[in-house]
Amino acid sequence: MQDFAQEFMTALSLILSGDSELLNIVFLSLKVSLLAVFFGALVGMPLGAALAVGRFPGRRALIVLVNALMGLPPVVVGLCVYLMLSRSGPLGVLQLLYTPTAMIIAQFVLVTPIIAALTRQTVESLDAEYTEQLRSLGLSRLASVPVLLWDGRIALLTAFLAGFGRAIAEVGAVIIVGGNINHVTRVMTTTIALETSKGNLSLALALGVILIAIAIAVNAAVSLLARGAAPQRGELSHA
Amino acid sequence: MTTEHNTQPVIEAANLDLTFQTNDGPVHALKDVNLTIDKGDFVSFIGPSGCGKTTFLRCIAALETPTGGTLSVNGMTPDEARRKRAYGYVFQAAGLYPWRTIAKNIKLPLEIMGYSKAEQDERVSKVLELVDLAGFGGKFPWQLSGGMQQRASIARALAFDADILLMDEPFGALDEIVRDHLNEQLLHLWDRTNKTIGFVTHSIPEAVYLSTKIVVMSPRPGRITDVIESPLPRERPLDIRDSKEFIEIAHRVRDGLRAGHSYDD
Repeated sequence: MQDFAQEFMTALSLILSGDSELLNIVFLSLKVSLLAVFFGALVGMPLGAALAVGRFPGRRALIVLVNALMGLPPVVVGLCVYLMLSRSGPLGVLQLLYTPTAMIIAQFVLVTPIIAALTRQTVESLDAEYTEQLRSLGLSRLASVPVLLWDGRIALLTAFLAGFGRAIAEVGAVIIVGGNINHVTRVMTTTIALETSKGNLSLALALGVILIAIAIAVNAAVSLLARGAAPQRGELSHA
Repeated sequence: MTTEHNTQPVIEAANLDLTFQTNDGPVHALKDVNLTIDKGDFVSFIGPSGCGKTTFLRCIAALETPTGGTLSVNGMTPDEARRKRAYGYVFQAAGLYPWRTIAKNIKLPLEIMGYSKAEQDERVSKVLELVDLAGFGGKFPWQLSGGMQQRASIARALAFDADILLMDEPFGALDEIVRDHLNEQLLHLWDRTNKTIGFVTHSIPEAVYLSTKIVVMSPRPGRITDVIESPLPRERPLDIRDSKEFIEIAHRVRDGLRAGHSYDD
């Protein structure tokens, strides 16, 4: 217990002193995960919206698949992306293995189904509630989609943040495709895994504190936004 | 004024059929419905559930597609009329966006239809005045009572220039005192805007009080059993409901409902 308190104090001083190694790791983590979520949203949101309002054969099966992929094990994603990018793999010529780009690709694969599934749920419930209203205002089915998306933008931001929360916290995929190379592909989660096994607990703890702070910030943002999206629920909780 | 536009019917249904195919066989939601609605009419559709009153209103709005007969709205097919924004539709539930204020909710159709910011504001304050909600534009729906929410939803349907207002039991979920008040306001509004109104209800006093024309319908198959042209004047104080004429019309409506309804089911 004595040890833990001491390590924790060292960790705090690392954070407060703005240790440059620590900051680099944090910035790389944020960069990789934000880019992965950005591209994930570019693909996942239109896909989710199409699944919500489209009527085509295989739609049900696709929804089940996307929902199932929400729980993809990161190490398996890491393994698959590794096989694709490795020297002998189909994309080996790109020489992306052990680069931040490889990590972005792996996290993109992880978060896209999450964003797509949450977008589908959001748009589907909006559609069920408001589609006839929009139809009565002269809109075609296709034209009502952007109106729904725009009015559901806060709920959709929740999907984006959920994807980000998943990406920033996972270790399995980035450690396999990134290789945890110092100053190149070392991010918060992989550093924690490595430093803990080396016994350098203060750096691991410092990163852990930052990671948890980010997780709390993301969740607080989601909850604030959800409250803004439906103020009557917030009001009821006061009663 | 060489041509008299008022003689042109706004809504015209001839031999209208709508059959839903279900697992238990076909359901005749509407059978051989013939009806003409003229400009400025206030038409109520009354009947027990399953008589097709809401279905007929939805056909006019092109939210359902008839399986037989013809139906024209402003001389067009219902879907053409819908795309030309010929009507405002008030649904049973107010259907306001909870994250938009009342004013922003009323702006929704105006945003969609591309009105300028200034005109949006002007129209919102005009219709808020019309439904007696001036000063409530900045409130969120959950801050308003059910009656006020329904009025806001009427304001939204009035915000753009549709000549036809279709209302599907808009006051069905409200208590009678609020309902009386809203009925009175609705008549004022109709008088001031000269809109053609189609109004679904299952309340006999409501239908008689509001309408220039009462369409009595009955189920299995959904059909029109009586069309009553009301002799009541346009100007109607609430106590007109105690008059002899009012009670006579209410009787005729009740008889029509009874005749069309088989109690052996």
